[in-house]
Amino acid sequence: MATTYLQLTNELLRELNEVVLTSSNFSAAIGIQAHAKDCVNRAYDDIVMAEPQWGFLATGESGATDPFYGNVYVETVAGTRWYELKSSSSSVTTDYGAIDWDNFYLTTIGVSGESAPYTSQNLKFINSSDWVRYRREAENADDSDSQSYGEPTHVIRSPDTRKFGISPIPDKVYRVWFFAWDLPTALDAHGDTIVFPDVYASVLMARARYHFHQFKDSPQQAAFALQDYKEGLKKMRSNFLNPEPNYITDDRLYF
Amino acid sequence: MATQPYALACEGGLDKASSSFELLRRPGAARRLRNFEVDVAGGYRRVNGFSAFGGSDAANPSTDNDILGLHVYADGLIACSSTNIYFSLDGTSWLQINRASVDSGGDNYSTFTGRSAAARTSQGKAHFVTYEGDTTYGEVIVTDEGSGVKPFYFKMTGTGALSDRTYYAKEITVSGTHYPKFCTIHDKHLVVAGASTALNTIFYSGTSDIDDFTTTGSGSIVLDDQVVGLRSFRDDLIIFCKNSIYKLVNINNSSTIAVQPITQNIGCLDGKSIQEIGGDLVFLAPDGIRTLAGTVRIGDVELGTVSRAIQPVMKDIADNIGSLNVSSLVIRDKSQYRLYYGSDSTGDASEGIIGTLKTDAQGATNFQWSETFGIDASASATSGFNSSGVEKHYHGDYAGRVFNHDTGDNFLNTSGTETNIVAEYQTPDLDYGDLGTLKTLKYVKVSATPEGTVATKLRVRYNYDDTDIPQPSDYTLSIDKPSLFGTAVFGATAAHVFGASSDPMTRQAIEGSGHSNYFRIFSDDQNSPYTINGIYIDYEPSGRQ
Repeated sequence: MATTYLQLTNELLRELNEVVLTSSNFSAAIGIQAHAKDCVNRAYDDIVMAEPQWGFLATGESGATDPFYGNVYVETVAGTRWYELKSSSSSVTTDYGAIDWDNFYLTTIGVSGESAPYTSQNLKFINSSDWVRYRREAENADDSDSQSYGEPTHVIRSPDTRKFGISPIPDKVYRVWFFAWDLPTALDAHGDTIVFPDVYASVLMARARYHFHQFKDSPQQAAFALQDYKEGLKKMRSNFLNPEPNYITDDRLYF
Repeated sequence: MATQPYALACEGGLDKASSSFELLRRPGAARRLRNFEVDVAGGYRRVNGFSAFGGSDAANPSTDNDILGLHVYADGLIACSSTNIYFSLDGTSWLQINRASVDSGGDNYSTFTGRSAAARTSQGKAHFVTYEGDTTYGEVIVTDEGSGVKPFYFKMTGTGALSDRTYYAKEITVSGTHYPKFCTIHDKHLVVAGASTALNTIFYSGTSDIDDFTTTGSGSIVLDDQVVGLRSFRDDLIIFCKNSIYKLVNINNSSTIAVQPITQNIGCLDGKSIQEIGGDLVFLAPDGIRTLAGTVRIGDVELGTVSRAIQPVMKDIADNIGSLNVSSLVIRDKSQYRLYYGSDSTGDASEGIIGTLKTDAQGATNFQWSETFGIDASASATSGFNSSGVEKHYHGDYAGRVFNHDTGDNFLNTSGTETNIVAEYQTPDLDYGDLGTLKTLKYVKVSATPEGTVATKLRVRYNYDDTDIPQPSDYTLSIDKPSLFGTAVFGATAAHVFGASSDPMTRQAIEGSGHSNYFRIFSDDQNSPYTINGIYIDYEPSGRQ
């Protein structure tokens, strides 16, 4: 069972020789106890912010809809260029925490009314300046005139990061698969659990300790805690983000 | 940041008058000290309990009537209750001694007990004095505040069983129908005063003739104020009045006898509060407990009180003196003055104060105070030396019961059931030298002297009991009594631990942080007493916040 918010907070309180909380008074914590709760949440955020694409933050399980690589899809609408990455989100505060812009995939598989042969292709990322320079005018002209549209080949990121655009403007319904990571919800109730394995709770605790010692004006203790945190984070990165074998790819083969 | 040490010695007693900031500089004082006493040997000691006089066979002198007065006499105790006066050797049976028509040469037991009663009509709070004279046990005079009868004289001779002794008893005529309330012996005279018919007159008997107010050396003096108490003090007779204090000098010289004012602005609230201790007279004045010497020297200013540290308590007593009974006694081997106050309705919630004369680190001897709760002794309390020279202490209640005072490990409630002694000692808030620094407490070591197995609790509260910061739960301190050679046998009881220190330091890890904190050590049990000598604290300062 994952470590709970109460367990993390009490571990910190015990270590600092403070009065521990119980499940019954957790929500009404005051003073130093409330600060300990804040420190745990702050440390939690720090770990998340360090690497927004931690595996444990993935919006969905990769490959849940076999054989697609992404964990989220959005269905296009004929004649519409821009789509919210997260349609259920009303603002940036609830959007995905990170998107793998290099991994968008277009297909008609699963689209109602479609049958083999299906369309399936990667969508290359094109930065907005290139899109503006080479594609926008023609696509907009088509949209205002013949509306022939086309099969999208590129994906664009909107300047506010809330939407993706596809180019050309789609001529029918497609599914656009991509990989997204959530922003974790702040720990709140005593039984809330952290999203990563318990073995890494010590990294969170080191960071929480760092914040707590700063409050207590103990710079030396804070420095020790910070060092612990950095080393822990390094191990987390190594374990979570670098699991693949290292190969060197020479793109010159394609030219 | 490294931890810092801090230690406080328990000294100074209860201080309810100083501000919390003043007390920052007096960490040894107590913010609460209930059912503890300041130990002359140092520290704060949980008080003893009390037990029935007569043990399991105890009998009441007069069923459930109020005990109106007690007096240590001979090898027993005199008690006044209802309209009678009683004497008992052991509390299991009481001999009525207010007999009429007793032969001037003395009655034997059977004759004495066959005499009719000399009823103490409307008997109120009784006052006693013993004229030692040249008899075995001395002669006792009894007056009472009911002022309905004459002073009563009683003497007993002989030893052994009461049936083998000789008794003398009679009423003493003072003057006409004056029935004085107060009495004392001064320089070979019996002095009485306060009769309801002559509230401001003192009468003194003939020289070396305490039962005759007509013989040579007798007389009377009219004062300006109503007398509430009399006490002989060195060469003077001190006359405590409602709003003034006088002294009568030269009682044996008719040409120079005089009454001189000590103060005409301060009086005594209750004659039952007057005691002699530490070479001085102490009494309850409207502004607190005063010493006579202090009053003579300083007058009526508040500086004359010796109870300034507990001034709120004294003010409460003074404000309600009309509805309170007051009794007092001294416990000489503890250098203690005890004053109890309450009424027949306070029962198990009765209160009192204990003043211990103690010499502080600067060499000054002062009263240090504590409070009692649950000792229903306001009806009457007394102490005195019996015929063997042993100091005895007793008190009586409003249910007619008499108790051995200051003994045992429990109280007795109004139903006669043994009850716990609820004791608590609370330090002032400690700032460890700087109120602005946040401190995280690591552990404390409590120095205690146990007199048996002790199980007290320790409470820590931060920032003046601030409800906006977390406060830890109470900790239990278990303090074992050591087996000392000659006093306890190793393994004889679970209470004794071989090799334990006689003054153990009990370590307790504690938690929490704050800018200041106090400690409260408290117990609610029937265990043996213990003395808290001091507290060592290990804390970690963590910056100014």
